[in-house]
Amino acid sequence: MIAVEQLKKSFGRHAVLRGISMSQQRGETVVIIGPSGCGKSTFLRCLNQLEKIDSGRVSVAGIEFDHAHLDHATQHRLRLHAGMVFQSFNLFPHLTAMQNITLAPIRVNHEPRERAETRARELLKKVGLLDRADFFPSQLSGGQQQRAAIARAMAMQPAVMLFDEPTSSLDPELRGEVLRVMRNLAEEGMTMLVVTHEMNFARAVAERVLFFDAGLIVEQGPPEQIFNASQNPRTREFLSHFADSDR
Amino acid sequence: MKHPLARSAVLLLISAALHSAGATDALQRVQSDGVLKWGADAEGGAPYVFPDPQQPDHFIGFEVELAAALAHKLGVRARMVQNQWDGLVPALQRGNFDIVLNGLEITDEHRQQIALSQPYYVYSQQIITRKDNPSLTNLLSLKGHVVGTLSGTVAQRLMERTGGIDVRVYPGQAEPFRDLNNGRLEAVMLDLPIAVYYLTKEPNLKRSGDPFAPGFYGIGLRKEDTALLLALNQAVAELRADGTLEKIYRRWDLWDKNQLLIADYHEQKLAAQTNASTFRNWRLYLPMLLRGAVVTVEISVLAMALAIVCGLALALLRLYGIAPLRWAAVAYIEVIRGTPLLIQLYLIYYGLPNVGIRLNAFAAAVLGLGLNYAAYEAENYRAGIQAVPRGQMEAALSLGMPRWLALRAVVLPQAVRVVIPPVTNDFIALFKDSSLVSVITMVELTKVYGMLALTTYDFMGLGLMTAAIYFGLSYPVSLIARHLERKLHHDRR
Repeated sequence: MIAVEQLKKSFGRHAVLRGISMSQQRGETVVIIGPSGCGKSTFLRCLNQLEKIDSGRVSVAGIEFDHAHLDHATQHRLRLHAGMVFQSFNLFPHLTAMQNITLAPIRVNHEPRERAETRARELLKKVGLLDRADFFPSQLSGGQQQRAAIARAMAMQPAVMLFDEPTSSLDPELRGEVLRVMRNLAEEGMTMLVVTHEMNFARAVAERVLFFDAGLIVEQGPPEQIFNASQNPRTREFLSHFADSDR
Repeated sequence: MKHPLARSAVLLLISAALHSAGATDALQRVQSDGVLKWGADAEGGAPYVFPDPQQPDHFIGFEVELAAALAHKLGVRARMVQNQWDGLVPALQRGNFDIVLNGLEITDEHRQQIALSQPYYVYSQQIITRKDNPSLTNLLSLKGHVVGTLSGTVAQRLMERTGGIDVRVYPGQAEPFRDLNNGRLEAVMLDLPIAVYYLTKEPNLKRSGDPFAPGFYGIGLRKEDTALLLALNQAVAELRADGTLEKIYRRWDLWDKNQLLIADYHEQKLAAQTNASTFRNWRLYLPMLLRGAVVTVEISVLAMALAIVCGLALALLRLYGIAPLRWAAVAYIEVIRGTPLLIQLYLIYYGLPNVGIRLNAFAAAVLGLGLNYAAYEAENYRAGIQAVPRGQMEAALSLGMPRWLALRAVVLPQAVRVVIPPVTNDFIALFKDSSLVSVITMVELTKVYGMLALTTYDFMGLGLMTAAIYFGLSYPVSLIARHLERKLHHDRR
């Protein structure tokens, strides 16, 4: 579903991604962990072209591109197939939860409003916000906003969901509701690539964990190996910062 | 007189009384200073007073020579004080100079306000047309035609009294000739001296018909300066008797036998007339002001609509356009913001005909104001768009929206809210700036005020009425904007 070969990306003289290669199967949930500034978020943003790549080859949901070959049509198809959830939610503040969810289906896919709203209600029910359909983002808590944002991304029926630190700007007591929604998605067979610091989530839901450091994948494997049996000193050092309960 | 405030009020009164007592003795002051200050407008003032084309820091003209001759008779030097022509009388009353010597007609309206000397020149009205026009040879034949003249002149009043003439009023002398040449006007009617001078430089124009409606130019003085009036009357009489006047007028090709009428001049008793109170007669003046206000509103609304549309296009080009378009937008915004609106209006109205684009005054006014404010609106929108967090655009793009749709459906609706207060502010500013378009002959609210104030000299009453109309129109705009802002506020994060 996702295949990346030797992806490189620099901001000015600062090399953020120094040659990332990975692949992910359909239905697999992969979690990326690593210290701040290691390039996790940039990697995610490269996959749906919010950042241009400097070199390498990427294939997402059967759409291939490299730094030299990328036209607007490819970019558009790519984004249709890869949904994204942001750290800061980025709900559209001038629209209700319902309108946030139906905007793209109606304006991009030209779906009839009825059908878009029916599916939006199903999605709102799934994320537990059916009674908040007509609320504006400012009237929702952070956790509710993020759940609405997940529903919004799902409304375009993407093949892959990219989560960029979805709980990092939430208070601890609000994180659970978002993580539960994500866990349900994973159990339904959604292909998910998640950048997060939630080690419990990674341990419980991920089929594979990638440890990023300084623009490279330092170690990867099933969660038990990374969290309990890592032989890599960088991984061990990083994980030592998390309390045992988080591990 | 224990109270210090009361005491200083009395002191103020005394000094004011002393000041006006001093003013009655203007002749003495002129002689002790050795300078006679005369007010005139040298801007487009040929052949009266104007900058010498060979030596532009030096003024020439028949009135320059006349002022020198008069001052010589008083044993002093003459010094010209520049002042807008239609503001000469109020400026004289304020004490900016001793006399007005600048083609001031001896009329009852002027004599209500100031004293006028014995006449020094007999002017008449002259109609000027293009050479290919055989008609329009007298005042009545002008009915139904577009005719230009100078603001606040006898010619303007004659035509307005005749009725049925589409009179266009200009602040300067050169512009009506320009518009006659380029076809915006069918004729120009002016005092003969102006006609004589400009026709020497306009090969395509001609005098049409004979001069008519003779009248007198006199020197304007404050009413209390009686000693100076007597001295000047004496001086004028001597200059006429010794042939100096004739010599000056011949040099400027202004001598005609009408000048002999000066000898027959008898001051007519001024009909007893109290100053018109524009407040008491508001029924008469208010409708005229309101008609001007309608033009102001029309111009402002259309110009703002143009500014909003062009401003949005400029802002989008500046933010998202490809490099050359981006540079062009930046250049446009900087040049327009960095040059005066007045100059832009002149360029559009008087400059564009040189390259074959001839707009009427209304279109030029809307275009000039609209294109000027577009530059300011563009910067408002840019600030508004940039105030929308970048994550909004990214979220929209990640949902598969093309950039243009993301802009329209996500970014702009949020930017609008940010932009309402500064855009309202600009609309109110534009509304008031619209008064500038009177320089390209639009008769809007401020121009109507100016014309009425110069005939009634009630700057105060009319000014308050005009200001009230402006405020009455702009305040509701603020209220609507405030309401709109509050309405869009409920979904703010």
